[in-house]
Amino acid sequence: MKTPPEDHDLIRWLDEEMTPAERTSFEARLEADPTLKAEAEEMRQLSLSVRSHLPKEMPVPHPDFFNSQIQVRIQQMDLEERRAAARPAAAGSILSSLWMRLLAPVAAVAMLAAGWLALRTSSATGSVVVSVYTPDPKVQATTVENTEAHATVLLLEGLDAMPAEKNVAGLSVHHAETDAQLATTTLFDGAGQVLLVMGKDARNQPLIFSHGTPRG
Amino acid sequence: MPASPASDSDEVEDIELVKRSQTGDMRAFDALVTRYRGRVYAMTYHLVQNETEAWDLAQEAFIKAWRAIGSFKLDASFYTWLYRISHNVTYDWLRKRKIQGDGEFDDERTDHRVAAGAEAVPAAFAAPDVAMKRAELGQRIQEAIAQLSPDHRQAIVLREVEGLSYDEIAEVMGTSIGTVMSRLFYARKKLQELLKDTYENAT
Amino acid sequence: MRIQAPVTLSLLFAAWCCGVLPTAAQTTTAPPTTAAGKSAATDGKVWGALVYAVTDKSKLTGAVEKAPDLIPDLTDRLAKAFPFTDFEILGQHTQDVFREYESWVVPSPELFLKVDSKGPAEGGGLNLHLQFWRQQTVLVKTDTILRTGSPLFIRGPKWRDGQLIFVLALKSVGGK
Repeated sequence: MKTPPEDHDLIRWLDEEMTPAERTSFEARLEADPTLKAEAEEMRQLSLSVRSHLPKEMPVPHPDFFNSQIQVRIQQMDLEERRAAARPAAAGSILSSLWMRLLAPVAAVAMLAAGWLALRTSSATGSVVVSVYTPDPKVQATTVENTEAHATVLLLEGLDAMPAEKNVAGLSVHHAETDAQLATTTLFDGAGQVLLVMGKDARNQPLIFSHGTPRG
Repeated sequence: MPASPASDSDEVEDIELVKRSQTGDMRAFDALVTRYRGRVYAMTYHLVQNETEAWDLAQEAFIKAWRAIGSFKLDASFYTWLYRISHNVTYDWLRKRKIQGDGEFDDERTDHRVAAGAEAVPAAFAAPDVAMKRAELGQRIQEAIAQLSPDHRQAIVLREVEGLSYDEIAEVMGTSIGTVMSRLFYARKKLQELLKDTYENAT
Repeated sequence: MRIQAPVTLSLLFAAWCCGVLPTAAQTTTAPPTTAAGKSAATDGKVWGALVYAVTDKSKLTGAVEKAPDLIPDLTDRLAKAFPFTDFEILGQHTQDVFREYESWVVPSPELFLKVDSKGPAEGGGLNLHLQFWRQQTVLVKTDTILRTGSPLFIRGPKWRDGQLIFVLALKSVGGK
């Protein structure tokens, strides 16, 4: 009958955690006890299986993005810390009232404020989203300065997906002509064909009057 | 475009990269991330059995490592230190999830999590061997491991995958050696039970 | 502050961008004429594109638009900024931006940008007011300083097996 310490002996032997003397002694027991020996063998097989099927290393999905996200988040944390330190200066800024009106998520305010301040003081060479506003409260905007990608990313959460059956057509615009009087812009392709005409309706909403055959 | 850090990292020792990271050199740290992300991700994945969460937790681990790198003693093993951090981060998450209720994801960090594109993440791990039987066995083992409790799973992973000694496992898990042994024994017995049918059919 | 700012490199790049003549492809924009027939001053040129991002190459639509020399490593940058592996430009449009008049950047009739210039920005680039539209709905309004060498990536809605991303880059500052 095995008792808990004996169970431990079994795995200690398996995992080579025994002293040479202990090992010799245990191996003698194995020879004398076929049941124990069978159990030890079964456990050894299991160990091998597990080891060969659980890799020590696995490819990270989107490895470049993984690395750049880490950098971005570290920078965001630094910015937030600086913002906290620079708080007296930020409070007096006239832009803060603009942000209070426009921005819903407080975190975004903090980050943009800190980001704008920090980047200005360090004479940044990247693009900066100074303020952002989403008319639909369901949509949230977050800005990320991604130095690895050398780009500024504006993330929009809460957008409805474009229907799968919709053909999202692209246009290859060669040139555009704006008629200020009619307040319309005509887009032309390389062959001089009209791709579409942009105008505005009475409510200042964009209106696409017509377009030729879009690509896609 | 600046040269990719990966080109230097093979020649540069961990210790050098860590020293540079300690002075705030993010490029050096980035090289460490590249060097160890596969292992950290494997570790978090084995524990939480979910790609998206494992990805996030691996991120957390590296970020915490960056924050704490000043306190890293240069004569220690960087990987073991990183490993400990990964373990803590994962366990904190598991504990929190347990408190919040099983199966509920933590929605607090929505921005970067959604940015990770949960639905778009492809399966990262494919069975190394194309033989159906072996792939099936691998699948069954993964499933069996997933059925263990986190503590038992962690003990098995640390022992079988990472090859840590009992002392080291005890240190990582913050328990006694006796507990480590009990967990290992129980985990192996449980796996045997779960895989009984598989072994019988595998040949 | 640990943001790496390779200032010299970026300034050189920006200077190079401003000096380069536009390619023959798609850059001619007739500036709007006022009632008196005078041309409005152009503050600069922007390049807008609608990109479709996927993780499975076979899901791309087969669009053949090529990125201009403006951002030769666009796909690399997109891969660093988003968790996708394959990208295609569905449509593109280079457009002048003006202070007195709004411009439309329409690489697709589905998602487009209204752009107003507020003049040059301190430290280079242009102050722009942008409105990102989806047909008749404004998704987001933003005041942005757009600088050469640093495009704006707007992550738009999901579509089919991937994501639509609007790219806006500053091609040049000043009239020509």
